[in-house]
Amino acid sequence: MSLYRLIQLCFTLLLVGLVYSSAQASEGETAHFPALQTETARLEIHAATDTVAMEPLIRDFQKTAPDIAIDFVEYVTNDLQDKAEITCQNKAVIGDLLISSAIDQLVKLANDGCALAHVSAETKRVEDWANWRNEIYGFTFEPIVFVYNAHLVPPDDVPRTHAALADLLRQRIDYYRGRIGTYDIRVSGVGYQLAFEDTRQPSSIHGRLIESMSRAEVKVHCCTNSSLDEVASGRLYIGYNIIGSYAYAASLKNPDLKVVVPRDYALILSRGALIPKTSKQPALAARFIDYLLSERGQEVARREAFFFHKDANLPEGVDGPKTLEESGISRPIRIGPALLAMQDEAQRRRFIADWSRLMIDIKHPTAAP
Amino acid sequence: MRPEPSLFRRLALRICLVLAFGAAILISAAWYYARMAADDAYDRLLLGAALQISENLTVESGAIVATLPTSAFQLLGLAESDRIFYRIVGPSNQTLTGYNDLKTKEALDKIQTKPVLETGTYKGEQVRIAIVPRTLSDPAVPGRVHIIVAQTTEARRAQAEKLTLQASLLVVVMSLVALAGAMLAIRYALQPLEELGMTLRRRDPRNLTPVNVPVPRELKPFVGSINHFMHRLNERVSLLQRFVADAAHQIRTPLTALSAQIDLLESEKLDASGRQHLERIQQRTSELAHLTNQLLSHAMVIHRADSVQLKPYNLIDVTRQAFRAAVPITLDPDIIVSFEAPDDDPIILADAVSLREAIVNVIDNALRHGTQSRLEVRVCMAEDQATVEVEDDGSGIPPDEWEHVTRRFESSKHSEGGSGLGFAIASEVLTAHGGRLRFREKEADRRGFTVILELPCLNAEEARYMRLASQAPFASQQS
Amino acid sequence: MRILLVEDTFDVGEAITRRFEAIGHTVDWETNGKAAAEVLSFTTYDLVILDVMLPDLSGFDILTTLRSAKNTTPVLMLTARSEIDDRVGALDLGADDYLVKPFDFRELEARARVLMRRGSGEATNTITCGDITLDLSNRSVKIGKREIQLKRREITLLEILASRPGRIFSKDELLNKLFGFEETVNSNAVELYIGRLRKKLEGAKARIVTLRGLGYQLVPDET
Repeated sequence: MSLYRLIQLCFTLLLVGLVYSSAQASEGETAHFPALQTETARLEIHAATDTVAMEPLIRDFQKTAPDIAIDFVEYVTNDLQDKAEITCQNKAVIGDLLISSAIDQLVKLANDGCALAHVSAETKRVEDWANWRNEIYGFTFEPIVFVYNAHLVPPDDVPRTHAALADLLRQRIDYYRGRIGTYDIRVSGVGYQLAFEDTRQPSSIHGRLIESMSRAEVKVHCCTNSSLDEVASGRLYIGYNIIGSYAYAASLKNPDLKVVVPRDYALILSRGALIPKTSKQPALAARFIDYLLSERGQEVARREAFFFHKDANLPEGVDGPKTLEESGISRPIRIGPALLAMQDEAQRRRFIADWSRLMIDIKHPTAAP
Repeated sequence: MRPEPSLFRRLALRICLVLAFGAAILISAAWYYARMAADDAYDRLLLGAALQISENLTVESGAIVATLPTSAFQLLGLAESDRIFYRIVGPSNQTLTGYNDLKTKEALDKIQTKPVLETGTYKGEQVRIAIVPRTLSDPAVPGRVHIIVAQTTEARRAQAEKLTLQASLLVVVMSLVALAGAMLAIRYALQPLEELGMTLRRRDPRNLTPVNVPVPRELKPFVGSINHFMHRLNERVSLLQRFVADAAHQIRTPLTALSAQIDLLESEKLDASGRQHLERIQQRTSELAHLTNQLLSHAMVIHRADSVQLKPYNLIDVTRQAFRAAVPITLDPDIIVSFEAPDDDPIILADAVSLREAIVNVIDNALRHGTQSRLEVRVCMAEDQATVEVEDDGSGIPPDEWEHVTRRFESSKHSEGGSGLGFAIASEVLTAHGGRLRFREKEADRRGFTVILELPCLNAEEARYMRLASQAPFASQQS
Repeated sequence: MRILLVEDTFDVGEAITRRFEAIGHTVDWETNGKAAAEVLSFTTYDLVILDVMLPDLSGFDILTTLRSAKNTTPVLMLTARSEIDDRVGALDLGADDYLVKPFDFRELEARARVLMRRGSGEATNTITCGDITLDLSNRSVKIGKREIQLKRREITLLEILASRPGRIFSKDELLNKLFGFEETVNSNAVELYIGRLRKKLEGAKARIVTLRGLGYQLVPDET
């Protein structure tokens, strides 16, 4: 082996290492779901959704398509968005299917022409608000909820509206100071989206709530699950703006964890699926979307993954109106161009800056100007 | 010669073309206006959104702050599936936010007060662009900010298509209605022509009376010339008729006088040679009379074939009349003459006078040249034809002369000095009646030579219909 | 018998008049249609011989007037015109017979005789024997469906024989009945007529049987 070859090998290794580490930096964990039978195709899903939540759906899908293996790559919403935008601009490949709870980001992708349209018998059943340009399909129905630890929050304190929460924080600020958790919208796309949607609600209650939370020295987390863990473990008492499906899943594991669907208004998030323009297997991705939208997929989702369903009653043990649809308090986040406003870079910067000033900087008065 | 297309087709084709052309123009116009309307409607949304964004521009601590109102995007979102691009350009041409590479055709510094709308392409798609200038009245940031909002044109195209389709549907329906109306109108307008044609077709060619159908002004000249022609033809026919009739009278009268005078000669008073001469004169006069009769009869038959309408008759009646006329009472009493008719009435369409003449001639011929001791006349009826058979026990005509004897003045040798015209008359009459003259050979002992007059026969239903139609059942002949 | 002749051609009228007068008839001869019509209105004739073409009033008109006045006098029309324009056939107007000029004078005489006899009126019944039918009203004879033409005396002979089928008629009896007493005819004439009649009745389901020395009888065939 010549020296030259040795140097070349070293370079190659170095290069591979670099690429690998950079990939590691933005990608989360990859879960492999091998085909039930001989593998004929491999569907690569890049998602800002918990693997645990998606697993029942993936496994059931594989029952209908036993020759398909699935790689499921999990991200935090913003990471997925960054990567998707970059690959779209460079016409590079980012798997076959994107799934994200931050649908404003998906809308931005679609608006920038990074998505493929797909129409089928299944997609025709999707409601208007959950479909944009036949490119993004919302396939879940997830109310945004409060959670609390029943050990630490006395029954009288349990907030059932946004106003009640604001009042509670104001009245018992000493008890709840530092015991409220929510998304860190600087890192969480969903968090940003939910916070932004909150500001768009017509009542003035949100301003009061923000103020109360600010004074109660709210704790922020990157992800729903860490907020939930904190509440479950008792380090936090109340979680705000938590995705209902995750909250319910956690409440099943920990009976102390209680879920409240606010009775004044409940944002409804529909997780979006989008086939990137550069997908190598758009037909396969479309097949997965069709599965998600199919009655079978919806049923599995309601039973095992996301628990809430547009036409079903609230799952057992959830505190809230009996059915969201009839109570008239549901505020579905419409998948459409209106979401572009919140995706505007300048807007986002300013919104996050304003939010940070209230939620984070206030706890470090020294840092305040 | 290639037949000219019918008037209906000519008119229909042209009206179709005009309607199609009109429809094409209307649809094009509809498309144009639909696009205008869609553009107009969606341009308002676009401009409205851009203005909303421009209203939300503020200056905070010397920096321009663009707060994008969600409502502006909701407004644009009314065009459900269209993609939206925007860019806010600061006074020194720097992008404040939005899509950096969104360009306008019109230079931004030329857009100073009024918003501008234009069409362009972005990201490979056609877009409609609204540019709204905004002068910020803040000394910290002098100059203009431009808000550029672009939207893909799917919704407007869909809207234009929908409008065009609806309008086209309307145009097509209207065209079809117009077409149907036009077709009906053409039919209605052409009806008199059709009726005239029908009348002429239904008319007996021998009917020379004027065509009396109410027709529109445009057709009057045609009917006029037809009637003029009819009139002239009728005059000619009448003239000929008068001539033949007069000739008949003029010739027959002196001939009758001649034979009358001969009859008055008393042969007993003449000597042998005188008697011989008288006999020869009698014989020649008789021949002359016979020939004259046949010639006139022939002229009459020919004339009637052209001018007399056929009517239904019972062939038995016609034949019986002919039989009575043709068999002289003075016939040799040793000759057995018989007439036989079937039980059913064979109804035929005929000119009774001509047909009688034909039968008379055949019987007369048989009596003169055939009959030895027996003459049988029979009317027979088969399914769709009726025949009159005239059978005698003479030597008959040999088959190779049959063809021959039906021609004028050509007669078989066995009829010396012959008439010549008898069979010719019969043959011509039968031809005019759609029948024919046949002969049947003599069969030793059993059957004599037979002349057969064959005629098409009406079936019961036709006969009833004809009787109703003619209203003068089996009536006398009218010319 | 009294005959009215309406004929404007002198030569013809003269010949007809002479011929009928020769056999004992009285003939009134008119040459003008109008005059003829007048004569007819007050005189009864046994026969009218009528030419079609006449001055003043045509033969057709006279005939029509005659028939519309319910006058049933037999009319024999003479016509010189071809039937080219005869609007209405003579027979249809009620003529009993017609002859087309020029005609045989013997034929005219024969037809006239037939008409005059018919005019005197005879029994209007029929006699049948076997399949022979004798219609006395129009003196026609049929064998089965076949109509045969018989002469006047032949019909009379048939009438005598058929009136009583099976009866034997002696030759003298027949002679008397056929010719009457005034006419002097050879008794062979009976044999002649019997022969002719027998011949004309050939094929009929009845026949004339000669009984030598006795006479003749008409016998229907045994079925």
